[in-house]
Amino acid sequence: MLTAAALCPAPPLLARELTGADPVVPELRQACREAADVLVQADSDVVVVVGAGERTRAFDAAAAHLDLTPYAPALGARPAGPETLPLPLGLGGRLLDEAGYHGRRELQAVGADEPAPACAALGASLARTAPRVALLVMADGSARRSRRAPGHLDERSAAFDAAVGRAIRDGDMPALLALDAGLAGDLMATGRPAWQVLAGAVNGGRATSVIRYDDDPFGVAYLVASLTVG
Amino acid sequence: MSDAGAPQPGHPDGPDSAGMLRLGKRAFPPGQPLIMAIVNRTPDSFFQPGVTWSESAAFHRVDQAIAEGADIIDVGGIPAAPGSEVDVAEEIRRIAGFIAAIRSRYPDIVISADTWRHQAGRAACEAGADLLNDSWGGFDERLADVAAEFGAGLVCAHVGSQRPRTRPFRVAYPDVMADVLAQTLREANRALAAGVQPDRIVLDPAHDFGKNTWHSLEVTRRLDELTATGWPVLVSLSNKDFVGESLDLPPEHRLVGTLAATAVSAWHGARIFRVHQVRESRQVVDMVATIRGDRPPARTVRGLA
Repeated sequence: MLTAAALCPAPPLLARELTGADPVVPELRQACREAADVLVQADSDVVVVVGAGERTRAFDAAAAHLDLTPYAPALGARPAGPETLPLPLGLGGRLLDEAGYHGRRELQAVGADEPAPACAALGASLARTAPRVALLVMADGSARRSRRAPGHLDERSAAFDAAVGRAIRDGDMPALLALDAGLAGDLMATGRPAWQVLAGAVNGGRATSVIRYDDDPFGVAYLVASLTVG
Repeated sequence: MSDAGAPQPGHPDGPDSAGMLRLGKRAFPPGQPLIMAIVNRTPDSFFQPGVTWSESAAFHRVDQAIAEGADIIDVGGIPAAPGSEVDVAEEIRRIAGFIAAIRSRYPDIVISADTWRHQAGRAACEAGADLLNDSWGGFDERLADVAAEFGAGLVCAHVGSQRPRTRPFRVAYPDVMADVLAQTLREANRALAAGVQPDRIVLDPAHDFGKNTWHSLEVTRRLDELTATGWPVLVSLSNKDFVGESLDLPPEHRLVGTLAATAVSAWHGARIFRVHQVRESRQVVDMVATIRGDRPPARTVRGLA
């Protein structure tokens, strides 16, 4: 069953080497580090990283890797290995590495178009993989929160992200499952399926949370939180 | 063609194998472009003649150049062009005290003396200069001895067969770049033999010196052949005639052309840029270093949020 979860965004700029000389978002990275630290200290049997991918599938943590060169060719040679991870899983894996986590690790992509019931079912099955399961959920809110945002302004994004924030804060998993996938798509909120996997993994348990970061410095909603489930 | 005995990278008596360039107390890795700001203690240099003739104006210029990102201050007391005679005593009077004053105000800035005469070089080193910038290709052979004695750096320039303060007259080369390579490497070898430290030797193709505009353009186009020697390369392009003749512009309107030549030279791997306009040159060399991947962008967010 699920015992703990961490929620972090997965923008490319979370990778320090992508922002040039300026760290740009040191407080966001710090919040993610803290969330990962707390998660790996939760004494779980397995940590499952969940994030959006092209389609729903698991990746082999030993074989697949994070590759940032598609974002910055100057970073040099692509890492050797058969398979590249979707960015949210790669960044999540890096957070676990940086937290010093060496235990069992699963990497689960969830398709961007996966409907809510399938996400919930996936979450429930992930929670059953071990007696004590920890989840690292890599998920972003709307990218249309301001006129300077990547997707320009969509007035609906404020209410949408506020609802997500409230659901996380209050442990209100049904509210996450009720998110409108069409609206999330319109708002470029790529985290929707991963949040719904979280909701399915909590599966009726009681989630309490600590919000570590909640801001949108570049017009994309970033939410960092730690959840304990009992 | 390089001399058979010319030092090559990796050779114990060649350029530093890691490409480090040492000037004064500072060490500069390859990929870090350096701006050398020109401060002329002359009443009659070609660009803005006399602008830093007075000591207060010269000091203001030093302060401004450093504030705008200069790494090296190059102090000269004699114009390159022919003109009224400046004897050794007068040259020393113009530069030595001023170098000492810069040194006391800026203990860590790299100071260069633009001179070909060993007596002036000695006075400059005694006053605190770190680099002897000889634009005249080792005309005074004892200058290298002075650099060696003081542990200073030495610029080895190509001037063909020009004597100091003369203009090129119908100069011709079978292959100007081959001549640049041969002469600068020969001078570097001579500097090594004189005891100048290998990581303090710099090559300068010396645009316009012993060259017509076609020659300077060729040297710019093929500068990678000089940087490929492994020695740090200095270029002095600032507002020169090859820019003016290329664009048909007088000295006061040559900045943009200078910056274009600066960008090409930086792309080819030049490491020191001797300039009048520091702020603009700094931006150009930093931008090219960023394009080359030698320097990270200052701050990248676009498309990454």
